[in-house]
Amino acid sequence: MKRFLRDNGLGLVFGLGFLLTLAGQALAGHADYNDQQVSYGAEPVSLGEYLTSSSFGVDVAENWQSEYLQFALYAVGTVWLVQRGSPESKKPEDIGPESEADQLIGAHARAGSPRWAKTGGWRTALYSSSLGLVMGSIFLVAWTAQSIAGWAAYNADQLSQRQDPVSWGDYLGAAEFWNRTLQNWQSELLAVGSFAVLAIFLRQRGSPESKRVGDEHAVTADSG
Amino acid sequence: MKDARLLCAVYSLLIGLGLAYVIALGVLHR
Repeated sequence: MKRFLRDNGLGLVFGLGFLLTLAGQALAGHADYNDQQVSYGAEPVSLGEYLTSSSFGVDVAENWQSEYLQFALYAVGTVWLVQRGSPESKKPEDIGPESEADQLIGAHARAGSPRWAKTGGWRTALYSSSLGLVMGSIFLVAWTAQSIAGWAAYNADQLSQRQDPVSWGDYLGAAEFWNRTLQNWQSELLAVGSFAVLAIFLRQRGSPESKRVGDEHAVTADSG
Repeated sequence: MKDARLLCAVYSLLIGLGLAYVIALGVLHR
């Protein structure tokens, strides 16, 4: 048990943190929703009603999509883009998907390599891009979920203000949808870009996300 | 690796259920 906790601390702590903060979001979102209801002269709703509302759904999904977009872009972008001196980057001479030997693919695979790294053909091609594909797919589904829940919440607001509901297609062009979307994208891009650049000069001793404390600023290392 | 596969399955389930739940909320309230 102790060994299980130690070996899986990152996944366990972040997963538990996710559940706790989601519960916190549910409670705070419920209180905020009811504050607005009261200010409109409407009846407050129960926690159960709030958790099954499209308003809660869109608030969850809009943040999910941007996080998965960030990781999908990072996984794919760092194949082709480098940042000299950053521990988040590979060396400028390694730009691109690299050779089969570098990537332990096909004839270069080792005994313990994943099966699809050895087979070649479409399986190896698919497996070679699986991280970006899965992150990108989760992003697309989450963004779609945001658009559907956001559309329902938007129409509930429209109806409460005695205005006509809009179609899903119209909602995809609505300022509200793009405001929700872009306010999340901008923060992710700023955080990732600044992390890659600040990590050239700053250090976090012991973290694989950082270079070693004594590494030169110009060294482009891929781990500390 | 058995533990890691379990964690991977739990995360996949959380993400899948979460996304399905939000889509269902949107569809039901549309």
